[in-house]
Amino acid sequence: MDILVSSLVAGLLIGMVLALVALGLTMIFGVMDVINFAHGEFLMIGMYAGLFTAQSTGMDPLFTLPVAAVVGFLLGIICYYGFIKFVMRGPMVAQLLGTFGLMLFIRNLALLIFGSEDRALHHGILVGKSFDLGMGVIMPATKLAAACLSVVAFVAIWLLMNRTRIGKALTATSLNAQGARYMGIPTEWMNALAWGIGGGSVTIAGALIVNFWSVNPFMGLLFTMIAFAIVALGGFGSVPGAFFAGLVVGIIMEIPGIWDFFTYTFNSDWMADVPMTSLKYMWVYLAYFVIMVFRPRGLFGWRK
Amino acid sequence: MEEIKNALDFSDFPRLDLIVVGLIAVFLLVFPVFPHSSFAMATMIQFLMFSIYGMGWNTIGGYGGQVDLGKAQYVGIGAFTTAVMLIRWDIPFWFSMPIGVCFAVTWSFIIGYPLFRLKGHYFAIATIATSLVLKDLFEVWDLVGAARGLEISPIKYIPPDFLRLIFREDIYYYYVILGFFFVGILYVNWFRKSRLGFQLRSIKDNEDMARSLGINVHLAKVKTYAIATAFVSVVGSFHACYIKNIEPADTMSLDISILIALMAMLGGAGSLWGPVIGAGILIPLKSYLKDWLGAQAGLVGIDLIIYAGIIMLVSAVEPKGIWGIVEKVRRRKRS
Repeated sequence: MDILVSSLVAGLLIGMVLALVALGLTMIFGVMDVINFAHGEFLMIGMYAGLFTAQSTGMDPLFTLPVAAVVGFLLGIICYYGFIKFVMRGPMVAQLLGTFGLMLFIRNLALLIFGSEDRALHHGILVGKSFDLGMGVIMPATKLAAACLSVVAFVAIWLLMNRTRIGKALTATSLNAQGARYMGIPTEWMNALAWGIGGGSVTIAGALIVNFWSVNPFMGLLFTMIAFAIVALGGFGSVPGAFFAGLVVGIIMEIPGIWDFFTYTFNSDWMADVPMTSLKYMWVYLAYFVIMVFRPRGLFGWRK
Repeated sequence: MEEIKNALDFSDFPRLDLIVVGLIAVFLLVFPVFPHSSFAMATMIQFLMFSIYGMGWNTIGGYGGQVDLGKAQYVGIGAFTTAVMLIRWDIPFWFSMPIGVCFAVTWSFIIGYPLFRLKGHYFAIATIATSLVLKDLFEVWDLVGAARGLEISPIKYIPPDFLRLIFREDIYYYYVILGFFFVGILYVNWFRKSRLGFQLRSIKDNEDMARSLGINVHLAKVKTYAIATAFVSVVGSFHACYIKNIEPADTMSLDISILIALMAMLGGAGSLWGPVIGAGILIPLKSYLKDWLGAQAGLVGIDLIIYAGIIMLVSAVEPKGIWGIVEKVRRRKRS
C-alpha cells in the first residue's frame, strides 16, 4: 500500500512542476499557433541559470527563481525578435523545422559552454530533508517546495492572463490577431510577450527542478515531449487544462511504481518480468498519441 | 509498359536540368573509379541513403504536405528485420528486405489509419510520439537485442557475399545503394504523374476541395504513407547490412527522423530533385564539419551549432528550399 501511495504522491508533486513546464508551451501555442520544439531547451537554460546563480552567490537555490525568470523572459523575447518572427511568414513546415533548429542550436551552444557532464546542486536548506507522512510515505522537502512554488507561479500567470489588461490583450491576440490589431493592440509585441512569459515560466520550472535533478545539455528533448503530451491532454492553448493534465502526466510517469505495487500485491511472476522502468516515458508518448487520435480537444474538452 | 514509359519520361523538365542530371548520374556511376579516400566513400554512401530516405519522405511530406517526423521507426523496422533474420535464421538480405517492407507497411497502416485523422502540428507531433513509443519498445525487446542492439559479425560469411550483402570493400555497397537510388528516382518520377500523385497534390492545395471532387482523402494519404514507408524500410535494411551494428538508440532516434524531413525541405519539398539536392548539401556538410571541427578540443558541438544555424536560416529565409530559389529565379527570367 505504501508503494502505491508514495508513487501517487510523488507523481502529483512532479506533476505540479511539469504543469508549469507545459504552461509556457500552451501559452505560446495559444497566442501564436506555433509549436516550440526548443521548449525543453529553455527549461535546461533555466536549470543552468538556477544552478550557477546558487553556486556563485551562495544563495539558497529556492531563491534563484527571479534570476531564472528574467533569463527566460529575455531568452523568449530574443528568440521571438531574432528568429521566430521571420519563421512565422513561412508555412507550417518551416515553423516546425525552424524551432527544431533552434533546439539544436541552444542545446549545442550549452554543450560548448557548459560541457557535457551532469551537474547537480549539493547545498541548500532543504536538500536532503524530508517529511514522513506516515504509512511509509516520505516526501522530499525539495520536491514539496518545488511543487508549492510551481503552483504559486502558475496561479500568478493565470491571474496575469485573466485579471489584467495585458492578459486581455494576449487573449484577444490569440482569438483573432487581425481583429486585435484593428483594436489598437500591438500584436507584434503581444506575440513577443507570449514568448517572454512562456520562456520565463519554463525557466522558473527549470530552477525548481534543478533542486532535485541533475542537469546536462541533452535533457531538453525529454521535457519537450512530456510538455507536448501535457498540452495535448489539457487541450492545446488551455491554461487550466495544462494544470490538471500536468498532474495526470505526473501520475502516468509513476506507472512503474504503481506496477510494482500490483506485482507485490498479486505476487505475480510475469508482472515482475516486465521491464517497466525502461518503459517509463513510453506511457507518456502513448497517452499523447491516444489522446490526439481519439480526443483532440484534450482530456477535459476545454477550449481556449 | 505504359508505367515504365511514364517512369522514364522526364520531358517536362527544361533541357538544362536534364543535362545537369545526366552529368550527375554519370559522375555517380564513375565516382569509385577516381582515387578517393574511404571517408569520401562513406560520405557518398550516406548521401545516397539519405537521398532515398528523403525521396520517401517527399512523397507524403512534399507532394502531400503532411509533415511526418517519425520516419525513423521504419528505418528501425527495416534494419532490425534484416538483422534478426540474418543472425537467427541466416535469411539473406534479398529475402528479408521485402519481408521488412511488409512489416513496415503493415505497421504504417496500423498507425497511419488513426494518425491521418490529425492535421498539421498535431499530425507531426503524433508521428514523433509513435516513433518514440516503438523505440522504447525495441529497447526492452529481447528478440531485437534490447538496448544493446544487434551486431552482424562479418567473420561468419565469406565476402563478397552478394546474397547477404556482406562486403569488405565499400565499393560494392556503393553500387547496391546506387541501384536503389536510380530505381527510387524513377519510381518517384512515375509517382508524381500517377493518379495518386495528382490526388495528393490536390489534397495539399485544398483538402476540402479535393474531398468535394470525390477523392478519398484519408485513403490517398494512408496509401502514400505506405509508399514512403517502403522507401525508408528498404534503406533501413541496407543500413543494417552496411553499418552491421545497429542499436535502437541511434537507428530510431528522433534526429534521423528530423534529418530526413530536413533534407527534403532544404532541397525543396514537393519537387523531384529536392531531396537529392538537400542530401547532397547536408550530408557532406555534416560529416566534414564533424571531421574538421568536432575533433578539436574544447569545441564539442560547434559543428552542430553551424548545422542548426543553417536549418534556422533556411526555415526563416526560404522555406521552399533551394529548388524554390531556382524556380523563383527562372520565373523572373521568363517575365
